[in-house]
Amino acid sequence: MTVAVESAVARLERVSYWYPNQDEPSLRAVDLEIGPGLTLIAGDSGGGKSTLLRIFDGLVPQFHGGRVSGRAQVTGLDPFRTPIPRLAQRAGLVFQDVETQSVYGSVEREIAFGLENLGVARAEMHDRVDEAMTALGIEGLRARRLATLSGGERQRVALAAVLVLRPALVALDEPTSQLDPEGAAAVLAACRGLAAEGRAVVVAEHRLETLAPAADRVVIVEGGRVRSGVDGRLPPARVAHARPPRVNGELAWEMRGVAAGPAGPAREPVLHDVSLAGGRGEVVALFGPNGSGKTTLLRTLAGLLPPLAGTVRRPAGRTAYLPQNPGALLHLPTVREEVALTLRRALSAESPEAMLAAFGLARLAERYPRDLSSGERQRAALAATLAGSPALVLLDEPTRGMDLAARRSLAATVEALTAAGAAVVLATHDTELAAELADRTIEVRGGRATEPAGGATPPAATRPTATPTAHPPLGVGTR
Amino acid sequence: MNVPRAASHRALAPRAWLVWSLAAVTVALVTDNPVYRGLVALVALNVLLTWLPPWRRLRPLAVAVTLAAALAALINLLASHTGADVIARLPDGLPLVGGPLTLESLAFGGALGLGLVAALLAVAPLSLVLEPHDVVDAMPASLERTGIAVATSLNLVSGFGRTFTEVRDAQRMRGWKPGGLRSWNEVLVPVVVTAIEDSVRLAEAMEARAFGAGRRTSYADSGFGRRETVVVAAALAAAALFVGLRAGGAPMDWYPYPTLSAPPINPFLVLGCLGLALPALPLPALAPHEPRGRAK
Repeated sequence: MTVAVESAVARLERVSYWYPNQDEPSLRAVDLEIGPGLTLIAGDSGGGKSTLLRIFDGLVPQFHGGRVSGRAQVTGLDPFRTPIPRLAQRAGLVFQDVETQSVYGSVEREIAFGLENLGVARAEMHDRVDEAMTALGIEGLRARRLATLSGGERQRVALAAVLVLRPALVALDEPTSQLDPEGAAAVLAACRGLAAEGRAVVVAEHRLETLAPAADRVVIVEGGRVRSGVDGRLPPARVAHARPPRVNGELAWEMRGVAAGPAGPAREPVLHDVSLAGGRGEVVALFGPNGSGKTTLLRTLAGLLPPLAGTVRRPAGRTAYLPQNPGALLHLPTVREEVALTLRRALSAESPEAMLAAFGLARLAERYPRDLSSGERQRAALAATLAGSPALVLLDEPTRGMDLAARRSLAATVEALTAAGAAVVLATHDTELAAELADRTIEVRGGRATEPAGGATPPAATRPTATPTAHPPLGVGTR
Repeated sequence: MNVPRAASHRALAPRAWLVWSLAAVTVALVTDNPVYRGLVALVALNVLLTWLPPWRRLRPLAVAVTLAAALAALINLLASHTGADVIARLPDGLPLVGGPLTLESLAFGGALGLGLVAALLAVAPLSLVLEPHDVVDAMPASLERTGIAVATSLNLVSGFGRTFTEVRDAQRMRGWKPGGLRSWNEVLVPVVVTAIEDSVRLAEAMEARAFGAGRRTSYADSGFGRRETVVVAAALAAAALFVGLRAGGAPMDWYPYPTLSAPPINPFLVLGCLGLALPALPLPALAPHEPRGRAK
């Protein structure tokens, strides 16, 4: 099926693409036209979204190698043959992980990098950097160092660094997957602004709820094929799952008056006087802006950071911890071996197959985990983390890059674990997941944890029937 | 006019920093006289402390230079059995290290270590004071690509420590315990693979932003003012003095064997070393010029 628009900035005709040493194509006979305005690319993780975006600026196949068939043009240039530096002035790509695409350390110079590469005169560079910063409302960041920026600010700087080349088409690969709602809103507003100016803006995203209403068109990419999503068949954003009642209200973990932060005498604590507790079978969701202390709280609860003050209690048994970066876990040749290692270490007699099936990884079980898409990699890391019946489960941004099916798998697995008595604490920007799974939500801001008034329970529509917890004050907050 | 914070911390033009560092390293390595090496180390430390940005940590460098110096001294003490003043003796049967340990070999090892300390402190501003883009600006046009490679390496190095902590913590939570060398595979493999993946991603991102298109231009001007001229002149003079005297066979080295003796001191060479301290001196007439980034 051809997804067509009236005035195409980019056009793909029967494009198929095979990565090097792969028998199966990652894109299959794709017919697609991209016009001015906002195009949303949705679809399952591993379906080919990132590959499709890389076609526009020639990185596929020119950087990645492999084999391509079909025809393509981007603003009249053939992206399969035109040198990438030339294409960069027509089509820009903001990659998924902004931290690994920065060349310089300061905002202004980072934005100017592409212009320096093109040999643009200094005076013109200054004007164009100004123009890009103004377009994204980041003039105030000019003199800042990248390391001091929030996730949303950093994403907009990465966008400015592409925009400064004045491309007709700007593609963004899951720009909000690591952002808090405020940062995500700022980035998406910037995308809408660019689209309103008449630029072709293509955004690959799993978090559709905010962006879909503003999109001029939706393209769904699944199994390497594209289809139009304008017929209203957008995947539902909400995880539809009913949560069974909790097992009991026995206290599982507790933090009392905890201050914590990186080691070293000169370091200020990140967490200040945090007192929290959670019960067996209970799911507690932490939310708050990037850099507020959620990860530090999880690491302290995991025992990875000794508290500078206060006490931490964990339940007997294994504590499972999923870090933000799934790559930190995965090092074995296959996904199956990753799960098996955790089971072996946990002295569990379970077979890896159940956990692989739970996360839809059966067909990927023999694949090298690091060859997987970001969403698939996240699922592999989750399977390797949650195997072996942990007593305490700590998840840091567990739905990063995950599609709806994977989120459902996560929800089901968490429910199975809590039904068996595990206590779960998850830090997430995914409000849908928190609403679906959490018995209590706790806001972490500026290193302090508070239970919002009326926010102790998720929305009624998704709230399970729950047995009141017996333990005293599972209350939360700072003293 | 607001001065960009990132730029104001380096005060000197990047190319002046590069020349200063190379000259200081030359002085530190062209002689093994501990007096000159010690002077260069002190001067370089003073310059570094003067311009170290608040967000940079000195501790890793301090640990590295201390270890390097201690190791050099220890190795020479254990491996060189020359010298008249025996301070201890290891059994002759011990391979390599067996035999007398002398005061002279300890002193010479200390001088070697001091040379390493001076050289490391001399190049430290390139990574601790300058930003990655400054390193690119400091390179001659023909070496711009090398500069980019250095700059990106510096970025990746900073992420390396973070990745190591992440991986070690993640594996610990899966039950990994540090044991023999093989046990570290579970940590080192993901760390190395992550570093490679990050490098490939960065290369891809750079190419997508037209890296390699042809002749580059720079967003910043060269920024050479009076202060840079004076600093560079003093640094080059110091290096030239040491190299010239070395070529001319003037006595500047120190050899403590067979018995310990005081190192020779040439006042001109001392002055040359002190000339390297100019970047740390508050000279109103040579006030830093306006930073090269644009400020609004």
